[in-house]
Amino acid sequence: MAHILALILTALVVCSPAFALWPLPKDLQTGSKALRLADDFDIQLSVQRAPADLQAAVARTKGYLKTDKLQRLVVGRGENDRTAIKSAKELSSLTVSLTSNETVRSISEEAMDALEDRVETYSLTVPGDGSDATLKANSTLGLFRGLTTFGQLWYEFDDITYTLEAPIQIKDAPAYPYRGFMLDTARNYFPISDIMRTLDAMSWVKINTFHWHIVDSQSFPLEVSGFTEISGKGAYSATDVYTSKDVEEIVSYAAARGIDVMVEVDTPGHTDAIGQSHPEHIACNQGTPWATFANEPPAGQLRFTNTATVNFTTDLIAAVAKMFPSKYFSTGGDELNEACYAADTQTQQELNATGKTLEQALSTFTVSTHQALLKLQKTPVVWEEMVLAHNVTLSNTTIVMVWISSDDVVAVAKKGYRFIHAASDYFYLDCGAGGWVGANPSGNSWCDPFKTWQFSYSFDPTGNLTTEESKLVMGGEHLLWTEQSNQHNLDPIVWPRAASGAELFWTGPGKNISTALPRLHDVAFRMEQRGIGTIPLQPLWCALRPGTCDLTA
Amino acid sequence: MSHIKNDKLQRLVVGRGANDSAAISRAPSLPSLCVSLLGGSAYHPIAVEAIKPLAQRSEGYSLTVPSDGSPAQLTSETTLGLLRGLTTFRFDQLWYDLQGLTYSYQAPVKIVDDAPAFPYRGFILDTSRNFFPINDIKRTLDAMSSVKINMFHWHIVDQHSFPLDVPEFPELAVNGAYSSSEIYTPADVQDIISYAAVRGIDVLMDIDTPGHTAAIAYSHPEHIACPFSTPSATFASEPPAGQLRIASQATTNFAANLISSVATMVSSTMFSTGGDELNTNCYTQDNQTQAELRSSGKTLDQALDVFLQAEHAADMILNHNITLGNDTIAIVWKTSADAPSIAARNFRFIHQPSDYFYLDCGAGGWEGNDPSGNSWCDPFKTWQRAYIFNPLENLTSSQVALCLGGQQPLWTEQSGPENLDPITWPRAASSAEVFWTGATLPNGMPRNDTSALARLHDIRYRMVQRGHQAIRLQPHWCALRPGLCDLGS
Repeated sequence: MAHILALILTALVVCSPAFALWPLPKDLQTGSKALRLADDFDIQLSVQRAPADLQAAVARTKGYLKTDKLQRLVVGRGENDRTAIKSAKELSSLTVSLTSNETVRSISEEAMDALEDRVETYSLTVPGDGSDATLKANSTLGLFRGLTTFGQLWYEFDDITYTLEAPIQIKDAPAYPYRGFMLDTARNYFPISDIMRTLDAMSWVKINTFHWHIVDSQSFPLEVSGFTEISGKGAYSATDVYTSKDVEEIVSYAAARGIDVMVEVDTPGHTDAIGQSHPEHIACNQGTPWATFANEPPAGQLRFTNTATVNFTTDLIAAVAKMFPSKYFSTGGDELNEACYAADTQTQQELNATGKTLEQALSTFTVSTHQALLKLQKTPVVWEEMVLAHNVTLSNTTIVMVWISSDDVVAVAKKGYRFIHAASDYFYLDCGAGGWVGANPSGNSWCDPFKTWQFSYSFDPTGNLTTEESKLVMGGEHLLWTEQSNQHNLDPIVWPRAASGAELFWTGPGKNISTALPRLHDVAFRMEQRGIGTIPLQPLWCALRPGTCDLTA
Repeated sequence: MSHIKNDKLQRLVVGRGANDSAAISRAPSLPSLCVSLLGGSAYHPIAVEAIKPLAQRSEGYSLTVPSDGSPAQLTSETTLGLLRGLTTFRFDQLWYDLQGLTYSYQAPVKIVDDAPAFPYRGFILDTSRNFFPINDIKRTLDAMSSVKINMFHWHIVDQHSFPLDVPEFPELAVNGAYSSSEIYTPADVQDIISYAAVRGIDVLMDIDTPGHTAAIAYSHPEHIACPFSTPSATFASEPPAGQLRIASQATTNFAANLISSVATMVSSTMFSTGGDELNTNCYTQDNQTQAELRSSGKTLDQALDVFLQAEHAADMILNHNITLGNDTIAIVWKTSADAPSIAARNFRFIHQPSDYFYLDCGAGGWEGNDPSGNSWCDPFKTWQRAYIFNPLENLTSSQVALCLGGQQPLWTEQSGPENLDPITWPRAASSAEVFWTGATLPNGMPRNDTSALARLHDIRYRMVQRGHQAIRLQPHWCALRPGLCDLGS
């Protein structure tokens, strides 16, 4: 009986029109009436002392309504809608208002609230009879999410902007508070205009965290006040640098789009670029053969047994933390290589002198950097090894990122830490592009195969977790490591795939993959209209004929 | 000349050439490059030389750049050879920039009688799965030319769309193109052909038949068996299904007329009629085909033979009993292992093995409702993988001459103008060197993927300076430190 019910439900979903919202709202009711935007359509901001970023968001939304000019993804691209559109009722206004009387805060402030305090809920009503549409929320951040949804409702044909699915009623809220995208700007550098374009695309699919893996062993492009020698020598060039002004610009650009910027200064591994200016702090600095000392060239790790290095790193992390208003800061902590320290005479001498084990020294180091963060009211974030592979004292507020494998999720949950899904076997955008190390003609990527949008979409964030453990899931993110990427393939390698994780963690798991595809095509084509170099997921023939290119069709 | 002025490529070394400044400041200046044709024979424009039959194409040249400041000399017997000398790994790739000074650190340079190891060095683009505006094709032709690729194999139509406006058959594009703006007009085709030709590139047009033709059914359903039939996996290797009714006389005439109409639009001496992935079940299920076979008393292969009197493709030869003229050139695509059996049948052939050269492999399955689907030709083909390909493997010495060269294809189920550059470059430069340089480098050393990487980085960074969105093969850190990111270093 249960099986029969499931089949009927599936059939209903498949038959419903491909309503092109991404991510899919929690609660969505649609009709089948045509409704067009009046020529003088306007968004009325009915908010006292509306913050500038909300006003700007309204203006951007009005701009998209005019410039998207996305035709429906059906054969004829809307030609068959001509009659329905001509006789459609006109919508002349969307009224945007707050439901609470509390002090109005800006989107930017609310976007940087603690995850548990972030309110992204909204409700949107678009009547079918032409009476005013309404968008309500009790936060400006919620209003921003609703504006994003409103901007995805409309298609263009013959200069008319319309929907075929009025009336529309949406009550929406995210399933998980953390929905991220990570970009590595150290393997290869990305100009800030490319990062900003990416932030725009992220905001369109309601991604709310930019995890900025800003430095690594290959380069240190962040200019840190008090430590300018690090980027002076460790950036790829004087122009491949993020100045404090660049950082401010990116942080405020992101915040105005509902995105918190969580910076990562990966330590104590992945730090060889610091060795260009501070060789005294780096063990096995560019040591060879690199494969003995690191997972990829160049080798080099902070000498965390050394008090001067601990102080240096703590000061550096505090200095970087002050550049970023986010309540979260990642100190990394992945892929620590022990052979590097075993071969480093200084480290061995210091261990001998203090009588500490390497793990004890690592704990002292981590406590020091994390104390600096806690003192600045920041929550530390770490890669999974810090709780699974090492014996390090961590604050119980620490958030863990699971990256090596989704198999490690349960072990992290058992430790009782809150965590974020970033597993390479589901969410790494760089997998499958071949090995990049030279002299290795048969090399494939370590995390083959390529992770398709479908595969990410099929992930279950609470699989194998108890109800209690499931509460530790903060959300998840797609990640782009950039050994083989820079601005030239940023858009095509990220979009629309990263939107898959965006819906998974906004809407929740278990949605139908077959009906998701037409919606994903839709958001990808809309992104393209807005200037993102998204790739086609299929031949256009398939995109115009939902279901026809499914495996068993 | 404008490349030498505009490239402004700094050397890929730590310091980007800052250490060269003393040497540059006292370096002699090269006043000129003297370009001359050898011999008294009449010469033709590059565009004429580029589209000659493969056997008559002459691309050799010699180049000398003295280190004492006396003029450089480029000589060739043909204008096409002069073009090769002016481009790529040779003259315009010798120069770097430091603070506005253009210099070489490798003088004197003496290249005597450089010439391609193989006459056919191509790149295939599929413009049917997704459409590519002509500007994107032209940009690609520029990049091809910079690595001496001399064939653009234009897989212009397929089952998904028919973007070619054929004057005698306008209905094909009107109904079969994705939209009225996603069409190549005869003027567009001429534009591409002449743009390619002056860059030393011949355009090989490909009208894939009798399979891969569903898009024709929008205007001529009478010629297509199993049009859009489902489940598509039973009727075609990808949706939508549909193949020309090879047993029908009317369809055979239609196809022959179509091919000859398209052939008159192009100037190349070569033309591809495709012929891959013929699905037998499609014809078994098609009542009309079965009736026609019964009334003519022919088998399907016999009907195909009639249909394809002059049509050509590798799996046609291997899997079907087809009569083909011995001037037919086969394209070996399924696997490199098929080349010796093609050679054994004495056909000339072009290497395009999916297990070495396919640029689209490894990007995941694209069919819907298939979360675990990977690309059929996993894994991704790295530049290194393509580079180690041996064109002469398992060929006898008498068969060597049958190998005309090779090409890397981009099938575009998951590509459009947005990722054309990053998915193609610099990887397609890999086979360009395999088939130009052959087994040994100009210095006599065996061609070697380890030493090739630094040069490939170089051409990649140069392509970026020229406006191509070529991807990084490694972190920039590695590009500046040749050898340090090798396996085992």
